[in-house]
Order: sequence, then C-alpha cells, then structure tokens
Amino acid sequence: MIATGFAVTTLLLSVALGKSARRNKIKDSPYECGMLPIGESQPRFSVKFYLVAMLFVIFDIEVVFMYPWALTFRDFLARDQAAMVFWSMSGFVGILLVAYLYALKKGALSWES
Amino acid sequence: MLPYYLEICVVVLGSLMLCMELFAGRRSRAKIAMVGVAGLGVIFALLMFAVCSPGEDLQYWGIYHFDKWAAFYKGLALISTLLVLVMAREFAPVFKHYTSQDEEKSGIGEFYCLPIFVCSGLMWMASAKDLVTIFVSLELVTMGFYVLVAFMRRNVGSLEAGVKYLILGALSTGFLVYGIAWTFGVSGTFNLEELSVVLAGDDIPSAPVMFAFALLIAGIGFKIAVVPFQIWVPDVYQGAAMPVTAYLSVASKAAGFIVFLRVVDPFLAAPSIREPAIYLMVFVTCATLIYGNLAAIAQKNIKRLLAYSSIAHAGFLLMALPALGAAGTIAGPGPESAISFYLAGYLLMTLLCFLVLTVVRVATNGEDLTALEGLGKRSPFLAFAMLVGVASLAGIPLTVGFFGKFFLFNIAIQNAMQNGLWIVVFLAVLGAATGFYYYFKIIRAMYWEGSVSEGEVTGLKVGRLAMLAIILLVVAVFFFGIFPAPLLGLTL
Repeated sequence: MIATGFAVTTLLLSVALGKSARRNKIKDSPYECGMLPIGESQPRFSVKFYLVAMLFVIFDIEVVFMYPWALTFRDFLARDQAAMVFWSMSGFVGILLVAYLYALKKGALSWES
Repeated sequence: MLPYYLEICVVVLGSLMLCMELFAGRRSRAKIAMVGVAGLGVIFALLMFAVCSPGEDLQYWGIYHFDKWAAFYKGLALISTLLVLVMAREFAPVFKHYTSQDEEKSGIGEFYCLPIFVCSGLMWMASAKDLVTIFVSLELVTMGFYVLVAFMRRNVGSLEAGVKYLILGALSTGFLVYGIAWTFGVSGTFNLEELSVVLAGDDIPSAPVMFAFALLIAGIGFKIAVVPFQIWVPDVYQGAAMPVTAYLSVASKAAGFIVFLRVVDPFLAAPSIREPAIYLMVFVTCATLIYGNLAAIAQKNIKRLLAYSSIAHAGFLLMALPALGAAGTIAGPGPESAISFYLAGYLLMTLLCFLVLTVVRVATNGEDLTALEGLGKRSPFLAFAMLVGVASLAGIPLTVGFFGKFFLFNIAIQNAMQNGLWIVVFLAVLGAATGFYYYFKIIRAMYWEGSVSEGEVTGLKVGRLAMLAIILLVVAVFFFGIFPAPLLGLTL
C-alpha cells in the first residue's frame, strides 16, 4: 500500500512539477553533459569478431569447469583418487588443446585474410 | 577392459583424424576416411571381444550403465557410423561441388571427423539411464548433426535444412529440459531406476506426472520422428547430404529409441498413470502410421520418400510400446527385443538403399525417382541391391524386414487381444499395405521405366570399399531374413 502509493505519488508529482524547463536540441540529446555522440548508434562490426567470440566462449567454459575442479581437488586427494581427478581434467584439456590447435592452424586467430 | 573406454577410444580416434587433417600432407589427408573406417572397425571388435560380457548389468557413478541393450545399441552406432563414412567417401565429388574443389577449403576432412564425434554421443546415449546424462549425450549428438546437415554451404537446400533443423531442434530440446525439470520436481530424482520406485508409490499426483511425460515424449519424439513432431523430417532429409540423411534416419533414430524405451518404462510401470500414458502412446502411434504411409505415396524425390517411410517405420516401432511392462503375458520376443531387432534390420536395409542412392547420385546428379530409371539395365548389380533393400523395407519374406515386422505385429496383436486396442493393428496392416505401393514405385522405376540407348549402357563406377559394403549388406539382409536367431539372440 505504502509502496504503491509512493510510486503513484512520485509519478504524479513529476508530471505536475517537471517539464517546466524549456526544451531544446541539447536538452533532448541522449547525454546532455558528455561527449557529443558521433556516428550511428548501431555501428557495424566486422564478421571476424564472431570467431573471436566463439573461441572466447569455448575457453571461458574451460575456466568455468576448472574452477570447481580446483576447489574439490584436495578432497579427492584426501580420498586417494588423485589419478582419477588428474586424468579427467587432462582429458578435458586435451580435447580443448586439439580444438585450439585446429583453430590456430585453420587461421581463426589471424586477423588478416 | 572397462566399457566406458570405448567412448574414450572413439573420441581419441576423432581427435586423431582432426590432427591428421591439420598436419598431414596432401596425400595422407586423403586417407582420413580410411583411418576412421579402420578405427571404428577396431573399436567394434573391442566391443565384441574385449569388453566384459553383457550378461551382467554394470554401472559406474550412477550415470553410466552397461547392459545388453547398451552393448547392442553401441554396436549399431559403430556400424552405422562406419558405413556412413564409406558412403561419405563415395559422396565426396558431389560434396566438393557444393563446397569447394580445393581439398582443404572444402572441409571434407571435417566432414569425415564429425560423424565420429556424433558416434561417441550415440554410444553415451545407449548407456544413459539418468535424465541429465541423457540430455548431455543427446545434445552432443544433435550439435554434431546441426553442423553436418548444413555442411554443403553452397547448396541452398542444405542451408535451409540446417536452419530448420537448428530451430526445431532447439525447440525440442527446450521441451525435453522442461520435461526433465517437471520430472525432477515431482520425484526429486534424475535417476530412472529411482524414478520408477518413486512413481510406483501411491501418493504421486498424476496430473504433473502426465505433464512431465508428455513433455519428455515431445522432446524425444522429435529425435525419432513421430507425428506430431515430424514436421522437420522431409525437408531436412531432402536438403542434407546423402550420407548425413542416412545417418540421421538410422543412427539418430536407433539411439533415440533406446532412450525412449528407457524413459517411457518407469512411467508405464506406474499404476496411477499407466492407463492415460498408454492412450497417449496409442494416439501418437496411430497418427504416425497414418501420416507416414499416406504422405509417402505422392513423393517423387527419393530422399523425401524415404523420409516419410522413416516416419512410417517409427510408427511400426511404436506399436510394441503399449506392451511394455506387461512382457510376461506375451509369447515370443518381448517389446524391447522386437524393437531392437527391427532397428538393427532397419539399419541394414536403409543403409543399403542409401549406399546405392549415393552411387546413383554421384553418377546422375539427380535425386528424383527419374534418376533411377533404367538402373536395371545400366547397372544390374546396383539395381538388385536396391531391390533387396526396398523389398526389405516393405517387409517381404526372406528379408530381415519381414521378421522385424513379424515380431512387432505379434506383440501388437497379442496386446490388442488383451486390451482391445485393435485400431493400432488395423492401421499398421493398412500402412504395411500402402508401403508395398510406394516402395514398388522405386522398383518400377528401376526395371520398367526409362529407355536406355545402347551407348549409355555402362556400369556405374563404384568404389571398392562401397562395393564391399553393398555386398555385405545384401548378404546380411538375406541372412537375417532367413535365420533371424543370431541377431535376435543378441537382443533377448
């Protein structure tokens, strides 16, 4: 009740009190006191960025997976499962390594061409 | 040897092939497909001989199971991937025509590697008895197919198929996840064995369970192409490259069915929802049988025809499902065995047809029924192989397709005698009869239509490996059509 009342009251008050200032072009610009916007608001990016974005996601996931792995690493050591926990991560990193080599060799990381 | 080493071997094989594609020279790069075929052969041998006997039911960490079904469907996945690689090698000229003549830019190496990774996903699906594992392995398979379907990048049809498969596949994944969430919400478990215990209890509310069941059916039904989730099938089958179409219709369907069987089982075993669940299944079965068979009649494109026939076959397979959980009351092989046998037979005959079609496609550049005209004169061997495959699809005696249908009808009729669901049997008989008509359209085109002038009578070029595969498949279709026991024994 109070929250709704407050919201409605402020809205009404702003209608009643606001908009008294004169409007002009500078007032209506998106950033009144900042840099003057130059160019379009939705510039076109090179399509090459999508490859970078994709590779970023892949290696981002790698780190996301490594983090909980590193956290539970000591527990597994305590339970004498060191080999299992080591090889499971090695397998994962190995697969990603092949993917990385693939991306490198196919020129996904070179900006030119 | 532990069973899950098989999947590791497959992934290692795929990575090895990818590294070959990267680092090897021009000449050894041409052998990537051969390395894949040989590697899969070795892994299949390991599955047959090195892995512990499937009599025992093993499980690891509660997410990976190895029983006779898992072994059987892993075998199906390996064999179909192997044959698809053989087919892809035959298909290479057409593939390069739609990508690039340059060996490296065409991406043909990746085209050989991707099915291997899909295969590892299919093998995981065969072992998954946990909703999360099912979801992850299903996604592994589907992701691979998204790329494979759209691989011929200069072919509009292939791109269209890719977009359709991507959008509808993502949608069906959404349904599946929602269904898994509801199942977990009702039962508090992802494990299917625990789920069957929970669902068998008395205090389970039936409405949310039914909702979860319907969502799961929608999600998996998309993969195995049953009505009303079949809308993508004709377009995707038509647009995708020939080996990919074959792979979709065989391997994706087989792995989808084992998951389907495992997911449906706990729901049908629950007394509170068994009745409505069966009526839902019967509705889906009837719709699939009618739609698949009737829509196939008018098709002129062979891939489209086989797409509708694949829907129809899904209908026949679903026929056995209502008998699930009542296995003791049915004489002859139970529903799981009948379905597995049918899927193995379906693999043999469908891949046989697609192998022949691939050869014809490369030679004549056509995918319509007219491309097959006069094949009986141009290449009697290929025409005979196609005849065997098509006859088996129609279910003519002495072929493996006959026994597949026989076991399924056996179950459906006994089931109908118990609970009066004669409508399924009626529609299936009608569908099988319709099947004769549209399959014989292919045979008619090969032997009775089209005139071949003397100059044209030259045998079509068939690669040695493809030739061997065709011969083996023809022999297998006949062998299991006369002695079904060895194959059936694996599934019992």
